[in-house]
Order: sequence, then structure tokens, then C-alpha cells
Amino acid sequence: MTGLFANFTIIASLAMAAWALVHVIVNRPMSRALHSSQLVLAGLFLVLAAGGIVQLIGKQPQIPWAEFLGYLLLSPLIPIGSWWWTRGDNTRIGSAIIVVIGLVMPILVVRIQQVWAIGG
Amino acid sequence: MAERAKGGARLLVVVYAIFAIGATARSVVQLSTRFDEAPLAYGLSAIAAVVYIVAAFALARADRTSRRVARAALTFELAGVVIVGTASLLVADAFPRATVWSSFGSGYLFIPLALPIIGLWWLRRSSPANGT
Repeated sequence: MTGLFANFTIIASLAMAAWALVHVIVNRPMSRALHSSQLVLAGLFLVLAAGGIVQLIGKQPQIPWAEFLGYLLLSPLIPIGSWWWTRGDNTRIGSAIIVVIGLVMPILVVRIQQVWAIGG
Repeated sequence: MAERAKGGARLLVVVYAIFAIGATARSVVQLSTRFDEAPLAYGLSAIAAVVYIVAAFALARADRTSRRVARAALTFELAGVVIVGTASLLVADAFPRATVWSSFGSGYLFIPLALPIIGLWWLRRSSPANGT
């Protein structure tokens, strides 16, 4: 779970946060593209979850699998939930929510990697 | 359809929802796989998870009853952070594993301590009685 794709999800999350932060700073209504980027991020985390499950089955029986699976399966729900919550929001608060999501998701990836690392 | 939160409260709801998801997932694993290791700490983590869920839903709805529920949940949460935070420092042996409220939430950048304070402040500021 320390592969390039995990790092890519971190970069994508931070890029989304930075993009949303620009909207907050210039007080611009959230664009449709920015709003949809949350679903793109959710898609990336679904791929990460699928890859993580495949790796779990293949290699690492000694890791705390329940916790690992919990983080993997719940992570895509966060950007999906925020997409739903920010729909139709044309204020800077909508963009600020996306900033928060973009900063939280990398923390989640690091946590997933920490749990995976327990398996050695 | 129920009234939804507006303004800054929408951001607060998201932060509470993230804590609710994270704390619940972690708590389910702790209670189901290693409750015996630290029953007090893991029990308190489960209580914290429930409080976060209640707070997230109550803040998301903006009606009068929900505001009361939110105020109660946030007050309970603040008391929990202060009491558990103090106890975890004074009686460290009782907490062989950390809870989300241990050391005033220092393991989570003190966000567990700041959240109820910000939430209660917002509830007070946006109260209909204040005319805002």
C-alpha cells in the first residue's frame, strides 16, 4: 500500500484543496468542474480500495485487516458525501468544504499506509 | 423537507461528519477485536463516536429541536474532552490506550477540544433569539 498510486491520491487531493482554496480566496462561486472533482477523487479512492483489497488477499494476513478494510471502504464515502452536501452551494463555504476534504483525504491515505505497515 | 444548515455551519457539519465516520469505524474495530485491552478507553471512544454522529446530524438540520439536540451533544462533548483529557493526564494507568479525547485531543491536533467550543459559539451566534 505504499505504491505510486497511493501517492498520486495524495497529490490529487492536495491539488483539489489548492484549487478550492483559490475559489475561497477570490470569493468566486464554486464551479461545476470543482464540484465534480470530488467525484473524481472518490473514483481514485475506489481504485485505491480495490487495489488494497487485492493486496490484502495476496500478501499480508498479519495486518489488522478489519481496521485496514474499514479505512479503505469508508474513504471513498467522504468525497461522495461532500459532493452531495455541496451541491447547489454557490457560496465560498462550499469551496471551503472542498478545501477541508482535500486536506483530510491525504491524512487518511497516510493512516491506511500506517495500518498496512504494521504487517511489516 | 427539513431545513438545512447554512453558512459556516455547513463546514462545521462536514468536520463533525468526518470525525463521526472516523471515530465510528475505529470504535467498531476496537470493540469487536480488542475491547479487553482497554475497556475504559475503548468504551469512551465509542461514546465519542455516538456524540459525533448525533452532533453531525443535529447541526445539519437547522430546526429548533435539532439546535437543542446539537447544543446538548456539544456540551456533553466539551465536558467529555475536559474530563477525559484531565483524567488521562492525572490517572494515566486507567488509559492504556488513547481515546479521541485523551490529553484534550492532542493526538488529533486538539480539534476535538476546539470543535465543541466553535460549535457552541456558532449555535449561540446564530440563535434566532439573537436576531441573526
